Amino acid sequence: MARGEELYRLCSQCHGATGEGNEALQAPAIAGQHAWYVAAQLRKFKDGVRGKHPDDAAGLRMRPMALSLKDDADIAAVAEYVASLPAQAPSRTLPSGNAENGKTLYTACATCHGPDGAGNAEMKAPALVRTNDWYLLSQLQKFKARVRGASPDDAEAALMLPWALSLADEQAMKDVLAYVQTLR
Amino acid sequence: MTGRYPTAASSYAGDIDGLILFIAALVFFWGILVEVVFFGFIFKFREKKGRKAEYVTGEEKRQKRWITIPHALVFVCDILIIVAAVRVWVDVKQTLPTPDATVRVISQQWAWTFVHPGPDGALDTADDITTVDELHLEVGKTYHYELESKDVVHSLSIPAFRLKQDAVPGRTIRGWFRPIREGTYDLQCAEICGIGHGLMPAIVKVESAAQHARWMDEAGRSALAAAPRPRAR
Repeated sequence: MARGEELYRLCSQCHGATGEGNEALQAPAIAGQHAWYVAAQLRKFKDGVRGKHPDDAAGLRMRPMALSLKDDADIAAVAEYVASLPAQAPSRTLPSGNAENGKTLYTACATCHGPDGAGNAEMKAPALVRTNDWYLLSQLQKFKARVRGASPDDAEAALMLPWALSLADEQAMKDVLAYVQTLR
Repeated sequence: MTGRYPTAASSYAGDIDGLILFIAALVFFWGILVEVVFFGFIFKFREKKGRKAEYVTGEEKRQKRWITIPHALVFVCDILIIVAAVRVWVDVKQTLPTPDATVRVISQQWAWTFVHPGPDGALDTADDITTVDELHLEVGKTYHYELESKDVVHSLSIPAFRLKQDAVPGRTIRGWFRPIREGTYDLQCAEICGIGHGLMPAIVKVESAAQHARWMDEAGRSALAAAPRPRAR
């Protein structure tokens, strides 16, 4: 854990000392996120599978940070440390979402992310309840525009594409994220 | 590769190297001459029996000439350096030769995005090829670049081209280069731009006409296979 804590100092510049995130830097809350998910995403950033699309400004910022991790042991160490941080319950930033409408839409998401939004290791689906709604909205938009998932090597992102496409517009995304907020 | 400098891979790299060598030679000459004279005087006026120390005011003409003559000669050297430097500066920074193609270079924390013209040779058309951290150029062609920044001040630095140009948010800065040697060269940010500044290297691939056409064909096909992507600005 000491190694993970040491490596996390770099991450804390954007994600915060307790992994609380920083919207101004487009750095989401990551505290308490599953270690396997954090590690998988770090590998994707490092391998250029995620965060290498020219329109993914936040991803392009994240990629060099992942490149600074020298091997899988470092990735595992920092991922374990992130997972060990007390999970946050980020406040709602998308007031126009309608949780009632979102509840219906969320039934599709629940297949992988779970009815409680806690994630599912088998499906490689992260916890949704431990991060920010603005971040989830940006990711849904990126999935839909194929800015995230542009690489053929990102199998999980490819799985997300049809679900993102099934959300008709930004309001539908906000509705489903308003419902996710109620799961915290 | 001369062994003294990185590869000179642009048409003006040799001019810049020549200018630096010229300045270095002048500075070396004057540096050595000053030291020789200085130590010569120390030796000549060293302590000797029977010689009394005296205070030299430096007002006599024969004393002042040790200052005035080198001063005039250094001034002439300065003029020569200025003339040589301005000639290179005008060629590299003030002149925009007619381009064969234009590439857009977009800097951000902490990556480089390059927009290349597709087979139609023009930017902002459907066949543009956008890459991250990899610039593809054809050897012998004159390129204009349009340098932009999405966030803070960056600096486009390609040592092999002897090119360094700041990127300023809100401005599009135009310049040019003509790669003359095939190879893969480093591209880096030369302006501290945040915590990831040291982690935003990119590469420049200078290719033969056939290699470049093959890359353009392959990259164009991948772009068609991918989803429609908005313009990277």
